[in-house]
Amino acid sequence: MTSKAEFLARIRTEMAKTPGLFTAAPAERPAQPRQRLDILRRELSERWPQMLERFRSEFERVAGVFHRAPTVAEVPAALERICRERAVRRVVTWPAEELGVAIAPALGAAGIAVESMPHASVPDTERDRLRGTIAAADLGVTGADLAVAETGTLVLVSAAGRPRSTSLLPPCHVAIFDRAALVESLEQVGLALEAWHDGPAPPERGAVINFITGPSRTADIELTLTRGVHGPKEIHAIFVDGGLARHD
Amino acid sequence: MTEPIVTTPLRERATNALGDRLLHEALDIATTRFITLRREAFDDFPEGEQLRDRARAIKEATLQRLDTYLEMLVANVERLGGHVHFAATAEEARDIVLGIARRTGARMAVKSKSMATEEIHLNDALQAIGVTPVETDLGEYIIQLAHERPSHIIAPAIHKTKGQVAELFSRELGRPGLPADPEVLTKIAREELREKFLQADLGITGANFAVADTGTVVLVTNEGNGRMATSLPRVHVAVMGVEKVIPSMTDLAVFLAILAKSATGQKLSVYTTLVQGPRRPGELEGPDEFHLVLLDNGRIAQIGGTLRESLYCLRCGACLNVCPVYRQIGGHAYGYTYPGPIGILLTAMINGPGSVKDLAHASSLCGACAEACPVRIDIPRMLIELRREMDARRIAPWTERVVFKTFARILRSPWLYRVGARIGRIAQRPFVRDGGIRALPFFFGHWTRTRDLPPMSARTFQERWRDL
Repeated sequence: MTSKAEFLARIRTEMAKTPGLFTAAPAERPAQPRQRLDILRRELSERWPQMLERFRSEFERVAGVFHRAPTVAEVPAALERICRERAVRRVVTWPAEELGVAIAPALGAAGIAVESMPHASVPDTERDRLRGTIAAADLGVTGADLAVAETGTLVLVSAAGRPRSTSLLPPCHVAIFDRAALVESLEQVGLALEAWHDGPAPPERGAVINFITGPSRTADIELTLTRGVHGPKEIHAIFVDGGLARHD
Repeated sequence: MTEPIVTTPLRERATNALGDRLLHEALDIATTRFITLRREAFDDFPEGEQLRDRARAIKEATLQRLDTYLEMLVANVERLGGHVHFAATAEEARDIVLGIARRTGARMAVKSKSMATEEIHLNDALQAIGVTPVETDLGEYIIQLAHERPSHIIAPAIHKTKGQVAELFSRELGRPGLPADPEVLTKIAREELREKFLQADLGITGANFAVADTGTVVLVTNEGNGRMATSLPRVHVAVMGVEKVIPSMTDLAVFLAILAKSATGQKLSVYTTLVQGPRRPGELEGPDEFHLVLLDNGRIAQIGGTLRESLYCLRCGACLNVCPVYRQIGGHAYGYTYPGPIGILLTAMINGPGSVKDLAHASSLCGACAEACPVRIDIPRMLIELRREMDARRIAPWTERVVFKTFARILRSPWLYRVGARIGRIAQRPFVRDGGIRALPFFFGHWTRTRDLPPMSARTFQERWRDL
């Protein structure tokens, strides 16, 4: 087997053979990304209606279904409607403190089985059971850390209490977000990623960040667009005008 | 070195492909669609041209400090609890993955589409030690069931009709009488593969990018199989060429803005997954172990070599779609893992220039590939350099070398040229039909088999010039 030292030595030998290359630099990185992100958010907060409108149109362009709720109080009803229209029986969700809204009571009252994901570590047997529950669910409810206007993309950071497969295994995914998540472009997502990785990660942070742009799709059979290959067939976004409860 | 996949000569493979009417139609429809979607995506995106320049600069800057960025990547992956392995050859890469499979007692591996694992022929090796590899990208799944190889980097099964897929699924999955309906067939694949995802011990992926300064492996998929393979099995192995490393998240944002637009015309693929090591405390899912295999397999030698620029490649497939040769013969005729114009260069990189002595000429040098490439790789220039190298190494057939040498001598001497022209005019007489030379005798016949030669004119330019 090749060792790291041998491997890198071979690279350095080859690099030494290339004098006189044209100067090239990687993208310039923000010096203080966290401060920059804060400043950006303040700027963006003034033009959120335009961002939201762009997000809606791009999200719909990639076959997302957009909903709007005036306040958190209307969110459970909007969810219940989505569930009823699809005869959804089993829902898995991030817990209320991650979502910023409590949905379980209302859905439970409507006769839908709701399982909230735990915040803390659980024993292996419980882990297996919960994973089975997610795999068997008809619908998964999550929040969103970013909503990207330019592309209609939702960005979800995994963590304790925010399992990755909530937005993957059920055939229908609903994400709930508010104006704090809105950014305009992929470039701004780049800044957010820099800020999130500036300094040590918070202890509850998970190992995966997912960008989701529409429902799972393929065109591998005769270029016919088909949805719901491995991931959800449908994706919904509920925007809460009055804002979600912040837990951080 | 990776062993070649086919043994029939390129000419035969190309002729077979040209005679396949179905393949031809499928290629034409697919490549035309991709070209249109790509153009529309960039038309809607005025900053695209500038971002392509930036992306190119980032790739070059990374190569200029590749050792530093790789060290940074390794340190960060390890800090996050992952393991990094170094593979100089395809064989070493296979052995590393097999070692992990054996140690963890794996029985089944789910694979997300990855050119790097195709390149090292990992599936056969897994099979040989009793681990069942399951391709989970729908296109790859189809061709795995059919025991074939991908024909396009991003649409591996474009050569198959829905009727053929229905027949294949009916037979291989024991579900007779399936309709030729992509919707139904996709649903069947979802059910079959969902089971595999939940059972598999090993998730094997490639990497579209790896961000050095955060130790992040980035996977881009439309179906979600990349997410499944990195969330459900207890071990995740990512195999990537060393050139996939990029410095920062800021750089990643630049590449994401142009990758999907170049590949499928989407603004962004459905799923972009940033993986940072194994499952963390409190997380419900994700692998217990994360392994990153860094693959050389001919790449490192090109940092200072003639094919250096092909290390910029993002594997988007844009150059395939616009290539007049690819559009005619399709991916299989190229005979190796990587088809199309960039594929010729990558094949030379992996298997040595001798492997492309025919392929290096399977290009009209029209430049459409360089124009379509998101990072503006000058593919034609490198193809010419490969041809030159082949000439220097005397890889070309001796007949061709003698003919061109003789021709060069004739052209250098006015006297020889005059005499030669006279002889040629007389010698060509038996072969001129309808104002063209359709067939020549002996080995010259190779030249006229696929093209006509214009006959030499009755008077040369020199002769006419004298009379003016």
